[in-house]
Amino acid sequence: MPGAALLHRPGASELRWAAVVLAAFGSLALLPLVVRRDDVLNFGVVFFLSVTLAQSWNLMAGYAGQVNLGHAAFFGLGALVTRALWIQGAPILPAMGVGAVVATVFGWLVGLPAFRLRGAYFAIGTLALAEILRITVGNSLPEISTLPAATIAGYSLTRRFYLTLVLAALAVATVAGTAASRVGLGMRAIREDEAAAEASGVGALRHKLLALSLSTLLAGLAGGAFAYYHISYYPQHPFGPQWTFDALLITFIGGAGTLHGPVLGALFYVFLKEYLAIRWVDLHLLIFGVLFVAIVLLLPGGLVEVFGRVRGRPRLTNP
Amino acid sequence: MLDVRDVRAGYGDVQVLFGVSVAVAAGEIVALVGPNGAGKTTLLRAIVGLLPLRRGSVSWEGRPIHAAPAHSIVEQGIALVPEGRRLFARMTLEENLLLGAFAPRALGGRREGLERVFEIFPRLAERRRQLAGSLSGGEQQMVAIGRALMSRPRLLLLDEPSLGLAPRVVEGILEVLRQIHRDGVGVFLVEQNVQASLALADRGYVLENGRISGAGSGHDLLRDPHVRQAYLGPLAMDR
Amino acid sequence: MRLLAQQLLLGILVGGLYGLAAAGLSLIFGVLRVLNVAHGELLMLGGYASFWLFALLGVDPFVSLLGVLPGLFLLGLCLYWLLFGFVVRAHEEVRIKNSLLIGFGLALALHALAVRLWTADERSITTAYAGEVMTVGGLKLPLVRLASLALALVLIVGLHFFLRRGRWGQAIRATAEDWEAALLMGIDVRRAYLLAFAIGTALAGAAGSLVSVGYSINPSIGLEWTLKALIVIVLAGMGSIVGTFFGGLVLGAAEALSAVVVGGPYREVVGLVIFFCVLVARPEGLFTSRGAFR
Repeated sequence: MPGAALLHRPGASELRWAAVVLAAFGSLALLPLVVRRDDVLNFGVVFFLSVTLAQSWNLMAGYAGQVNLGHAAFFGLGALVTRALWIQGAPILPAMGVGAVVATVFGWLVGLPAFRLRGAYFAIGTLALAEILRITVGNSLPEISTLPAATIAGYSLTRRFYLTLVLAALAVATVAGTAASRVGLGMRAIREDEAAAEASGVGALRHKLLALSLSTLLAGLAGGAFAYYHISYYPQHPFGPQWTFDALLITFIGGAGTLHGPVLGALFYVFLKEYLAIRWVDLHLLIFGVLFVAIVLLLPGGLVEVFGRVRGRPRLTNP
Repeated sequence: MLDVRDVRAGYGDVQVLFGVSVAVAAGEIVALVGPNGAGKTTLLRAIVGLLPLRRGSVSWEGRPIHAAPAHSIVEQGIALVPEGRRLFARMTLEENLLLGAFAPRALGGRREGLERVFEIFPRLAERRRQLAGSLSGGEQQMVAIGRALMSRPRLLLLDEPSLGLAPRVVEGILEVLRQIHRDGVGVFLVEQNVQASLALADRGYVLENGRISGAGSGHDLLRDPHVRQAYLGPLAMDR
Repeated sequence: MRLLAQQLLLGILVGGLYGLAAAGLSLIFGVLRVLNVAHGELLMLGGYASFWLFALLGVDPFVSLLGVLPGLFLLGLCLYWLLFGFVVRAHEEVRIKNSLLIGFGLALALHALAVRLWTADERSITTAYAGEVMTVGGLKLPLVRLASLALALVLIVGLHFFLRRGRWGQAIRATAEDWEAALLMGIDVRRAYLLAFAIGTALAGAAGSLVSVGYSINPSIGLEWTLKALIVIVLAGMGSIVGTFFGGLVLGAAEALSAVVVGGPYREVVGLVIFFCVLVARPEGLFTSRGAFR
C-alpha cells in the first residue's frame, strides 16, 4: 500500500511536468542571445503573459473548482496600479508588487462574501467586479496612457522578455507547488465535492481564499507586466472581458486542472491567434468563442486528454 | 398486469437490486415489505422509469415499458405516490391535484377527478387554496394520494404512505386504499408497517438485500415464522 | 428637488427594462438551474432585429416586437438544442459551472458576430414620434420610454398568468420545484426546460427591442445588460416574476439617485454595492436554493 500511495501521490504529475516546463523556459532564456528579431521576442512576451494569466485562472478553477468570470478585473487592477506608480518614478518590481496586492485585496472583497455560499455567486461577483471596473475606469480615465518620451527612448524589449519569462516560471512553480501540497489536495477535494470535503475536515473557505489569493496575485503581476510592456493603451483595455476569456480558453484548450495543459494551450492559442488575426481580422474572436464552447461541451479535458487517450491512459479526475 | 422480471438496478458503483421479480394482477392489492435499505424504493423507481435497469424487464399489460421515458409511464395508467410525498410545496393544494391530471388520459376529466378526490378526502376540499407546504403531514399524504388518483391510474404504487403519520391517520389512509381497490384499481403497496399492509393485501412479497426472500398470500406471510421474527418482533410470536 | 425627481422618473423608466431582462434570466435559472451569461447578448440581438426591421423596412419598433418575440423564441429553442440541453444532464453544481462557461463563450462569439455584421457603431431607432414628451407636474415623461415600460409590464403580467394558469406554465413551475416529482406527473421535463429557456430568451429579445427605441444599442452592451439582470435577481430574489420586475424598477431608481449624488461616471458602482450588500445581508443564497415561481 505505501508503494501504491507513493505512485499516486497527488501532484506527482504536476512536479514532473513543472520540471519539464521550467527546463524548456530555461532554454528559452537563451533566445534573445540567438535571435535578435523583435517579432520573435514580442511573440515570447505574449506567450509568457498568456501562460501566467492562464495558470492563475487554472489554479482557481482547475484546482479549487471556483469559476472566475471576471479575471480581467485583477489583471486590469495590476496594470492600472503598476502603470501609475511606475510612470511616477517608482521602480518596476515594487510597483508590480503593489499592483498585485491591490488586485488581491479586491479579490478578497468578492471572495469573502461569495465563498460562504456555493453556487454561482463567485462567478457573478467576479463578472460584476470586472465589468463595473471596466466601465468606471473608462469613465474616469478616458485618456490613452502613453509612456513618457524618455522611457520610450530607453525601452528594452529584452528586459520585458526576461521579466515575463520569470513571471511565467513563477506561475508554473506556484501551481505545481500548490498542487503537490496538502493544500492542493484540499482544493481538489473541494472541486470534486465541497460538502464531502467539508465533512472530512477540509476548511472550504480557507482553501478557496488561499487559491484566490495566489490566483489574484499572479493575475495582478501579469497585469503589471502588461503595463510595463505596452507603450500606450487605454487604461480601460486590460479590464476587458477578452482577457478573462483568453485565460479560460487557454486553460480549456490545454486541459483545466493540469499543469502542462495551460502551457500547451497558450502555445496553441498564441500561434492560432496570430494566424487567424492575419487571415480573418475580426472573425477570430467568433471562431475562438465557438471553439471554446465546443471544447467545454465535447472535450472538457482539453488537449491533455486527447494525448492521454492516444497513449491509452485513463484520466483519474474530471475537472 | 404489471410484470417485473429479474430486475437489476443501482446507483453508480452500488448495485441495489439483484434480480427481483414481482407481479401485480388486475385489481389486486399486493404488499412489498422489507427492512430499511432492502431496495424497496429503488424497485419502485425502476418500475416508473426514474432509474434505468441494468438487466431484466418491466412489462405492463404484456408490453415492455422499461425503455420508455419516465414521463410516459403515467399515460400508461401507472401512478406512483413517492416516498416523502414530494408535493409541490409552493403551489396550492388544488394546483397540486390538477398537476396530477397533466397526462392526456386524465386531462379531459380534471374537474370530475377533483370532485372525486374531494369526495374521498373531504378535508382537502376546504383547503384547496392553501399552499401544499403549509398542510399537516396527514393532509400532505392525502394530497399525494389524491394527486396520483387524478391521473386515473389502473395501478397505484405507494411508497411508505404511513411514514411519520399518527396511527389514526394511517388507519384512514389504509381505509382509502381499500376503497380505491374496490373501484377496481390495482394497488402495489411498499410499507414498513408490515402487520397492517400484509393484513390488507391479497398477496405479499418480502424484499431483503435486493432479493425477494419470501412470497405468498398476505395471510400466510403474516403467519410465517421468519416474517414474524424479523418484522413483527418477539411480542408478535406470542399472539 | 425637481432634478432629483426627474432623474428618479427616468431611472424607473429604464428600470422596467432591467426588470424585463431579469425576468427572462430568472425564469431560465429558476427552472433549468442554468445561468446563461449570454443573456445580454441575446437582448442585443433583439435590439438589432428591431433596428434593422425599422431601418430597412420601416417597421415600427413596437410592431416589430411581434416578430422579435417569436424570432428569439426560436433562437432560444436552437440554443437549447445545440448547447444548454447538454448541460442539464449534469448534477446541479456541474450544471451551473458548465452553463457559466458556455454562456461566456457564447457571449464573446455573439459579440464578435455583431461587430462583424453591424460594426461597432451605436444604433438607435428614431421614429417620427421619438421626441414626444408628456409633461406632468413639471416632470418630463418621454412618451417612447413610457410606452416601453407599459409594454414591459404587459409582458410580465402575461408571463405571470401563463405560469399561474397555463397547463405548461404550471408544468414549468412544478419542474422548477421538483423535477422528479414533475416526471411522476407525466410532465416531459426536457420540454419544460426547453420552453422555459425559449420564453426567457424571447423576453430578452423583447427587452432589446425596447432598448433600441428608447435608448441605444451597440455590440458591446451585452455584458452590461447581463449584469443588470443578475443584480436585479440578487436584489429581488428568485421565485416571483412580478417581484423581479419590481426589483428592476428599484435598481433603476437607485442608479438614478446615485448618479445625482456621486456623479455620472460612478453610477455603475451602485449595482456592485447593492450586489455585495445583499450577499452579506442575505447569505442563505438565492442562487443555491431551489426556486419556484408564483
